[in-house]
Amino acid sequence: MRKTLLGLLGTVALLSGLASPALAFEPVNVVHTEKVQAGPYDLTVGFSTWPVKAMQSLDFTFAPEDGIAGKTGTLTMIWDGKEQDDDPLARHPRKRDVWGLDIQALPEPGTWTFRFDINGPAGAATGELRNLQVMEQPGPPMGLSWAISTLPLFGLIALIVIAWRRTRTTVNP
Amino acid sequence: MDITATTTPATVAVPRGVVPASLVLGGTLISLIGLTWDIQWHSDVGPDTFFTLPHLFLYAGSAISGLASLVVVLMTTADAKRGRPVDPIVGGRAVGVFGRTFAAPVGYLISGIGAALFLVYGLWDQWWHGLYGFDAVIASPPHIGLLLSISITMVGTVMIFSVASDQTWGTYGVVGSAAVLLAFSTVTVLGLQAMPRSIVNSVNVGTAFLMVMILFMAAHALNRRGGAIVVAVAVAALQAVFWWFSPWATEVYADATGLPLRDYTDGVPALPNMIPMSLIIVAVAVELLHKLPAWLPGAVGGVIVTACAPLQRILTYGGSFPSADRYVATIVAGAAFGAAAGMLGRRFGHMLRHLAPAKEGRHA
Repeated sequence: MRKTLLGLLGTVALLSGLASPALAFEPVNVVHTEKVQAGPYDLTVGFSTWPVKAMQSLDFTFAPEDGIAGKTGTLTMIWDGKEQDDDPLARHPRKRDVWGLDIQALPEPGTWTFRFDINGPAGAATGELRNLQVMEQPGPPMGLSWAISTLPLFGLIALIVIAWRRTRTTVNP
Repeated sequence: MDITATTTPATVAVPRGVVPASLVLGGTLISLIGLTWDIQWHSDVGPDTFFTLPHLFLYAGSAISGLASLVVVLMTTADAKRGRPVDPIVGGRAVGVFGRTFAAPVGYLISGIGAALFLVYGLWDQWWHGLYGFDAVIASPPHIGLLLSISITMVGTVMIFSVASDQTWGTYGVVGSAAVLLAFSTVTVLGLQAMPRSIVNSVNVGTAFLMVMILFMAAHALNRRGGAIVVAVAVAALQAVFWWFSPWATEVYADATGLPLRDYTDGVPALPNMIPMSLIIVAVAVELLHKLPAWLPGAVGGVIVTACAPLQRILTYGGSFPSADRYVATIVAGAAFGAAAGMLGRRFGHMLRHLAPAKEGRHA
């Protein structure tokens, strides 16, 4: 029993040790930028991959020309004329000097709009990045991906059916 | 050499089957800990790789359950090949796998298959992240495949303990393994988010279905008055511990890796908050209405879970109440699915009781 416990503790220690050096988080590499004018604020929108494809995650950065200090704001994402998301502009976790979204995917292909409502020393203003074209998702169709991924559920249902049939004659509620 | 399994008076007798069953249950608990931690990590901190500590808990959980299952299957196979009697208290009756190549106790066969599937879906998930990036979405196809695989291991664990449900360790094990399965299922059900949006909140209805079904199943497998309440209390205990653990572990790990917490984190423990706090009320209703046909307390349970879900969300996150038509439609669907879950759960409980070996053949 003691050996088993020591073995388990050793495994946990080994796993913890392995986890630390493996935590090499990717830096934010902006490969494409777009400019947005929100009243007095010049905003640069950065993308870590370009072109953007549906479901493929990337880093977005939103950088006012004179920094984010003293400013707050809201990002509203609009697709097909409908608001999809409405969140305060937060610092990018891996690039804290700008606002951003880390490893986030736009779920649908088509035309997206990012609306920025910014409050700062020069007052409140709104600007939009319009006509952001998002291409079709890469990879297999979602129906196929879901079919592959729900196989365990169908296996479980098959098991239940077998067990049900084998215990049917002995039901005694 | 003739080896006879006898208990010497000088040693403390551990009931046969307890050690591997505990290892499999421990593995599933580690998976659950890894999941609650991982979800909180993505919510409060963010960056992801394949080898974060919460991910390693998820992998280790399935590895422990899978290896314990494999060892039991190999030992049972060795016993069967040598013509030794196989005690069905260890995971249930042995069934032939690949013809008669392996003799696998049915509970360990299921838990082991779940762990093996986890490996396969881990590769599928790795490929997925290579193509789509490390977007932290629970309801992606490979993630649901992984969660379903772990759920199969958890179902196997419930089976393993149900075999010994008339012994003390078996009873505790059924309560513990059912509580772990129930808590875990509140995340798996998020796969329903992929369904087209309708007037019914499919995740709340799915949650009601699974909660009622697992509660009925465990209560009927235990075959004791108060069984449903004991399972609900065990779930509430997990919920309470994770309510503290998830944000705490996330913050400690973020500090250790030098990463900051996100701006505007809501501070709500994500997985614990997915577990319906109304479950204890459902359990009381199940106990009070136990003489009625299962569909009736099942429907009541479905109504309680779906009616209380928005209240819990508003209590923890704030926000607005759903529209009246959506709220009522969800409750009606909850009643229908709850009724089905009650009947299915009771039947599954009967199936679990059927796993226990006949008393005259017992070598406890």
